[in-house]
Amino acid sequence: MSTHTNSPTMSRQDAVRKRAEREHGAMLDELRTRADYLSEYEYFMERLTETPAQLAQRVAMTLVASLCIQAPLEIFHALGLFSYRISCASLVLGLAAAPALPTLACPLLRSCLGMLANQPDSAIFQQWLIPTTCDWVVKFPEMARLAGLAEPDDIYWLELPHLKDAAASQGRWGAEVKRLVRHLEKRTGRRLGARSLERSMEIYQDAWRVFTSLIERRREGAVPAVWFILMANALYRDCPKGWAEAVERVIPRLLTPNDRGKRVFLAGSPVFYPNYKIPSLLEEAGLRVTADDLCSSERIIPGAVHYRDPSLDGLVEALAERYHQGCLCPTFADNERRLGSILSQRESFDGVVFQVLKGCHPYDLESFVLEKAMKEHGIRFIRIETDYAAEDRQNILTRLEAFRASL
Amino acid sequence: MGLHVGLDLGSTAIKIAVLENGALLASRATVTAPGQEEVAERLLHEALSCIDRSPDDVERLVATGYGKRLYARADRMMDEITANAVGAFHCSGGEARVVVNIGGQDMKVIFLDEGGRVADFKMNDKCAAGAGRFFEQAARILDAPLERFGDLYQAASETAELNSTCVVFAESEMVSLLARGVPRENIVKGLCHSVARRAVSLIGSSSPQSGLYLDGGPACNHGLADAMAEELLAPVGVLPMPQFTVAIGAARSTAEG
Repeated sequence: MSTHTNSPTMSRQDAVRKRAEREHGAMLDELRTRADYLSEYEYFMERLTETPAQLAQRVAMTLVASLCIQAPLEIFHALGLFSYRISCASLVLGLAAAPALPTLACPLLRSCLGMLANQPDSAIFQQWLIPTTCDWVVKFPEMARLAGLAEPDDIYWLELPHLKDAAASQGRWGAEVKRLVRHLEKRTGRRLGARSLERSMEIYQDAWRVFTSLIERRREGAVPAVWFILMANALYRDCPKGWAEAVERVIPRLLTPNDRGKRVFLAGSPVFYPNYKIPSLLEEAGLRVTADDLCSSERIIPGAVHYRDPSLDGLVEALAERYHQGCLCPTFADNERRLGSILSQRESFDGVVFQVLKGCHPYDLESFVLEKAMKEHGIRFIRIETDYAAEDRQNILTRLEAFRASL
Repeated sequence: MGLHVGLDLGSTAIKIAVLENGALLASRATVTAPGQEEVAERLLHEALSCIDRSPDDVERLVATGYGKRLYARADRMMDEITANAVGAFHCSGGEARVVVNIGGQDMKVIFLDEGGRVADFKMNDKCAAGAGRFFEQAARILDAPLERFGDLYQAASETAELNSTCVVFAESEMVSLLARGVPRENIVKGLCHSVARRAVSLIGSSSPQSGLYLDGGPACNHGLADAMAEELLAPVGVLPMPQFTVAIGAARSTAEG
């Protein structure tokens, strides 16, 4: 009697990479076969499929891996560094990292770990910058160790005060950003000058102006949810100038629909490439996303930075304040601004869709707070809890269709 | 005026309701199987032939349920939550304000306004805990058809403690209770209370003291409504022909626009 044995023909890492490539390929095929595909979107798709090493070569900058949007991009830019936001929503890579992690680990962080562990050139990140936002982000280095990742030379903690409106917190945050500047100067051996920082601020300001034009078209219903998020995601994989030029090429090609249909505001956990399940289901259910407050979408750039003091200290303080005050992350204890921000755009939507990634506790909690507040304002609200797997697509679609019918 | 047909292509059963001038003339149900369009077509012919009518008499057919897109001949598609609300409001004579629908693989709670429109709804996520599949599993393990669960519930002397409504974990719990000699009547009562608690938690704090109804196939087990009434401390009605409410709602929507 013979014994049946399976002998793998490739290493686990190779197998994971191949599956991840197939996942990317399927996503790109799906995007390219959409009726509203434009060749101008290829630019953004290329950015999102570029490896970190390819990106570093193209922008000719050293990459610093960052886990959040708190650290001002302008500071890195002015020092000749590229702030690479570690963001990946791959089901395959998340599953690859899962065995080493708690069952209910945040799918996004799990996927990011899977990406770092399986990407051939992730050792390019000599520095990880970790803001103390949610528990999963704070525990990222420990999770990375569990997942068997080689640690970078330098893990830099950016301590984020969880209060926004208290003067003491604002002061601490300003000092923290200045500490980051000193750290980056030491790492690079370069000095941050007021003029170079001002120039970088102008470049991001220009990108923000272009982004604002895109957002205006979105309010008219001219930008499908999937494409908008794809373009926004790509900013973290590109220099701001090139990205803004690419967005400018898209804008004139967008068509404003005659019938704007049912419009929704999308709130909650971030949506990243290559998992656009929620935006695509919203489209399938006949809902048009005309606004959002996702840190992976409309909040990728915090907006105009106002300053009176053009000294280096004055500029850094203005940047710190803008990033801190403009952030609507649910990890803040005083986050009433999120409600105000949604209500200020009341004319642009008919209802609110709040998506929570399973295990994303701050957003989970905030969804209940927002639901109550929205209903008090007579605004329809639906909460969708999900992850990157496909098996709940039908269930979610049913709910979204009923939500649309109720608007 | 022709016939209005509602076709509910659910995850475990396909149901059809044929209405004329708002009155139910025929209804049929069958188990969901591969080739849903053919199964649905056959069901339509059966329902029509039992009232001596032909497909030519159908003025409008509305498809609903998970498989609604699979039936290409539908005149219109409708989401099952809205269809359920329309059907429940009609079948309750305009009394329904909260409808708990237990389907094959999900549980929905629908809140209606005074005009029968969907005011809000909640639905379990991708897990099938406490749904029709759970009862099917229980019927197999307890060797008792679902139709008898209501009688078994009434005959129970105690409520067996079941901690899980998960289709997988509940199986081992039930097997363990049977091994300990717990009467299956008590297990059925425990099951009903376990699912009722799940429904109550989905309803949340907005439960009204009247106008609460149960529908979906598992609602044929009246023990479930009794358990829910006990858990909610409020009366819970079972809609007539509870497995057809969604199909009736879809059929009526053709009349209501």
